[in-house]
Amino acid sequence: MSVLDTPNPRRAESAGQQEAVEQERRHASTKRSPREGSRSSPLDRTGTGTRVVILVVLGLALLWTLVPLVWMVLSSFKPATAITSAEPSWLFTPTGEHYAGLFTGGNELIPYLWHSVAAAGLSAVLSVVLGAPAGYGLARSEMRGKRHLSFWIISTRMAPIAAVVLPLFLMFRQLGLIDTIPGLVLAYMTFNLPFAIWLLSSFFSDLPPALEESALVEGCTRWQAFRHVALPLTKPGLVTTFVLCLVFAWNDYAFALVFSGPDSQTLPIAASQLVTQAGIDWGQLCAIGTFVVVPMMLAGLAVRRWLVTGLTLGAVTGE
Amino acid sequence: MSTSEDVREPVRRRRKGAAPRRVGFTGRMMLPGIVPLAALTVLPFLTIVVMSFSDVRLLGGMRLDFAGLKNWGRFFTDPEMGWFWLRTAGYFALTLGLEMVLGVVLALCVWRLVRGRNLVLSLLLLPMFVAPVIVGLLGRFLTDPTFGLYTWLLERVGYDGDLLGGTFTAFAAVVAMDVWEWTPLIALITLAGLSAVPPTLREAAALDGAGRWQTLRHIVLPSISNVLLVALLIRAMDAIRYFDIIWVTTNGGPANATKIVPVRLYETAFRFFDFGYAAVVGLAMLFASIVVARLFVRMLDRKGLAR
Amino acid sequence: MVDQEPSVISRRRTLGGALAGGAAFAAGGLLNGCATRGDVRRRDTADPWRRFAGCTLNFVSENTAPTSAIAADAERFTALTGIHVNIVTLELSALVQKVALDLASGQSQYQIIYADSYQVLAPYADGLVDLREPASDDSLPGDDSDLADFFPLQMDVSGRFGRGDRVLALPYDCATMIWQYREDLFEAHHERMANDLGFDPTPGPQRSWEEYYRIAEWFNDNVDEVSYGTGHQAKQHDSLMCDFSNVLFAHGGQYFENGEHIGRFGAVDPGPSTLGSEEALAGAEFYRRLLSVADPASTTWDWTGLGAAFAAGRVAMCPNWHEFAADNERSLPGRVGYTTLPSGPAKSANMYGGAGIAINGNTAPNERDAAWLFLKWATSRKTQLRNLTGEVGGATPTRSSIYRAPEIRRAQQRPTGMPTMLTAPAVQQAWKPEYSGLRPKIPMWNECDTAIYTELSRMLAGDAAPRRAMRDARDHIDRIVSRGWVAAE
Repeated sequence: MSVLDTPNPRRAESAGQQEAVEQERRHASTKRSPREGSRSSPLDRTGTGTRVVILVVLGLALLWTLVPLVWMVLSSFKPATAITSAEPSWLFTPTGEHYAGLFTGGNELIPYLWHSVAAAGLSAVLSVVLGAPAGYGLARSEMRGKRHLSFWIISTRMAPIAAVVLPLFLMFRQLGLIDTIPGLVLAYMTFNLPFAIWLLSSFFSDLPPALEESALVEGCTRWQAFRHVALPLTKPGLVTTFVLCLVFAWNDYAFALVFSGPDSQTLPIAASQLVTQAGIDWGQLCAIGTFVVVPMMLAGLAVRRWLVTGLTLGAVTGE
Repeated sequence: MSTSEDVREPVRRRRKGAAPRRVGFTGRMMLPGIVPLAALTVLPFLTIVVMSFSDVRLLGGMRLDFAGLKNWGRFFTDPEMGWFWLRTAGYFALTLGLEMVLGVVLALCVWRLVRGRNLVLSLLLLPMFVAPVIVGLLGRFLTDPTFGLYTWLLERVGYDGDLLGGTFTAFAAVVAMDVWEWTPLIALITLAGLSAVPPTLREAAALDGAGRWQTLRHIVLPSISNVLLVALLIRAMDAIRYFDIIWVTTNGGPANATKIVPVRLYETAFRFFDFGYAAVVGLAMLFASIVVARLFVRMLDRKGLAR
Repeated sequence: MVDQEPSVISRRRTLGGALAGGAAFAAGGLLNGCATRGDVRRRDTADPWRRFAGCTLNFVSENTAPTSAIAADAERFTALTGIHVNIVTLELSALVQKVALDLASGQSQYQIIYADSYQVLAPYADGLVDLREPASDDSLPGDDSDLADFFPLQMDVSGRFGRGDRVLALPYDCATMIWQYREDLFEAHHERMANDLGFDPTPGPQRSWEEYYRIAEWFNDNVDEVSYGTGHQAKQHDSLMCDFSNVLFAHGGQYFENGEHIGRFGAVDPGPSTLGSEEALAGAEFYRRLLSVADPASTTWDWTGLGAAFAAGRVAMCPNWHEFAADNERSLPGRVGYTTLPSGPAKSANMYGGAGIAINGNTAPNERDAAWLFLKWATSRKTQLRNLTGEVGGATPTRSSIYRAPEIRRAQQRPTGMPTMLTAPAVQQAWKPEYSGLRPKIPMWNECDTAIYTELSRMLAGDAAPRRAMRDARDHIDRIVSRGWVAAE
């Protein structure tokens, strides 16, 4: 907990010692774990009144957050009549029929699942593989107009989906990429790649260049300094980026709708296909929803600790 | 153009001698990421610009016939457009505002929790991993007038209208769904900021005799303002783009109450196949999001973040 | 395709960081460049059905009853022809988007298209194959005269567009709106209702909409088994236009001058809208009044929501698509009756919402013929009969001869294994021009439709009076129509 020992950061900064402070804080923040964080929270001064308020707020928040999800999972095990009964039914004989239904009949789920895994996984991997050097380059670059470049990168992510889809579609058709996994991967890259570059560049900016410089002095090439010094130190950033890209791609509907076909439809498409003229099969929809949601939740929670530090884009240490 | 660059000298620009080699290396590092990105975005962007001045014919392969300023003229004289933008601004401000406020409140509460903090945080985070399409469909399921759980609950407390049927309630419902999904993200980012507030600061405040509220107001919140801006930026970037939730719940209705510009754009392109006009609306949207993003980035810059 | 993908991945893994982006493009291009299809091979076989054995076709369809039945049955087609068919089912707006993009690319990823009359046939008529050519090709099975077996109204609405006799699609789906009511309740309360209301409440086209309204009100006040007398599909959605149109046409209103002709044969330029007429206003005023006594949840329901509510016993009657009979029979066995909708001052109008099955005009010649085999098979008497009776079942035949078959005639009475056939007398009547309700078949209909249901939704929400709503809708439609149809000129 070296952070406790540092002098008042404001003073340090005004004295022009940013480098040292930043380095030290970084050290602290990479080591920080939620448990340690809780020790530093000011509960010693929290009165019972406040504590009750906090517990009530959190209780309500948990209800608000969890009821829809729990209801979805519960409903996925309910018989159809219990789902559409006017009185909500809490007691029922669980049935696996909706899940069974997903794997039999016309639209079997396995290919969808496979497409989702392949397309989302590949696009997340590629985004990190391409985004890491680009983010590093951006962080370390001293070119003029760097800010414009970096703003351009963010702005590509803001492109309105419906407007870019037609030109992209025609481009992909020329390249024979429609209804292929590579095509879907590229489509996902339009929003994942800028995000990855942006996020990773902020991770690299947080690294003190001194570390790489000492590696250079010891005779490393710049690539080696990146590969063996900078990259290992940003592992949390790489993992965060990967998982977020995975979530974005896995959850995408608008692009998948346009660029997929019989050989590449993904899970969200499968979910939307349950909305038919003749009605919505809510049981299957809840089952498929559970199916879409659970893997991403697990992935997200697995890296939650890093998400916390990752998503602040260095704003914490920048103060 | 270069003024924003000059505002603050990049912290790490120190050794002049190394600069020329660095540019070459960093440039080479960026290429593999930037080139595909440019290929995927610049060409479509230019196409949209051309499309906005054209009649776009689809049959037998796309053709663009020059149409002058027709589409742009229509955009500025469209009697409905103003309302769509106004509604969009309202939707945007309301969802972002609620998410920020609730997110910060939640983060503060979790921050002060001693036991079960990890568990509570994990549970609270779950919605942000749910696909927006599923959020929308789940919302429909819960508010279904015949068997929806929330409909039933509201009936218990005396409200028996139909959530997605009324103009006001439908708007509120889609806002609520968005807030449900994205408040956790804000809470998460805020919590990261809170965990980094140096305890020394708070101790100093306590020594000065500041109350809890004053500490919060004058010490804690200012020191996480950067983080809040980052949260706002990340969320704003997606808020303008995504419309999946509205698309699967209300489709813009009732009485256009939930028809925000992205929905209108999607409709123009893929229901009316008026791609020339859609290009204009799309460019306007892009422009609006860039203005908003610039604003946030500027604010971050002013705070001294050289990114 | 499943065996192709692992190789894509392993290939990906070997790509080094720097080259990956560029290579992804190149690999994608190469992998599929060779797949940019030439035409399929035509074999010389004695069996005309097996000329294109071994080829693969893609069929993109809305997720409707006939396609579910056909998807479950597609192996039969493969056994018959050796052609493999991939069936992609989508929700209608997603389907339309796919079809438009496919046509815009100048190629045919999907050779066989579910052609909604208003969102595919009308806007992209020139992008579809004139089916008279393959139909009259002697080397292919089947003959031209066979087309006469389809109901004439369906053939015109779902299969043709504009001038000439071109046949652009074969009638495939024939959803029709009719009056669905709780026969059990109408019987149980018949006497009291007749006394209270002063007329015979038995549903049918001899009832007027005004009487329908009074019956609904009567149920609201007097019957506890259901919450409301009538329910409607009045969500801001296509369904609202459909529901309203029945009332509009019944009152003599039309969307355009010469509306019935435009509804049946279609037009690119329909001329100015006539929604400002007194008849249209009368229709709108009545519709608003009707909705004020209907289940208030009506404004959140499209046809699906309404169907579920009716099946759940919330309302005593509703106008809805006949295909919901299958659900009704499952939830309320033996308790639902079907007839054509009430009459207004002008007629009894029953919205026809059928669709055809068509061939993408960008297909190569042999592919086109192979696709024709599928069309032929999918709309054949045998297949339609199986789709009606089979395990997945429930699809309504579009060939008139099927309704004359004795087993189908028997199935129109309970007990029946084919619940949709309980609606057969009603829908067959609704397919006669004098009972039909046809929305305008124009290429820009989708946008007009949106303008109409948006104004109607506004009217029902109390934001606009009927006169104002009709006038605004008219102005909006005129603006849309005057811009012309750009996408396919």
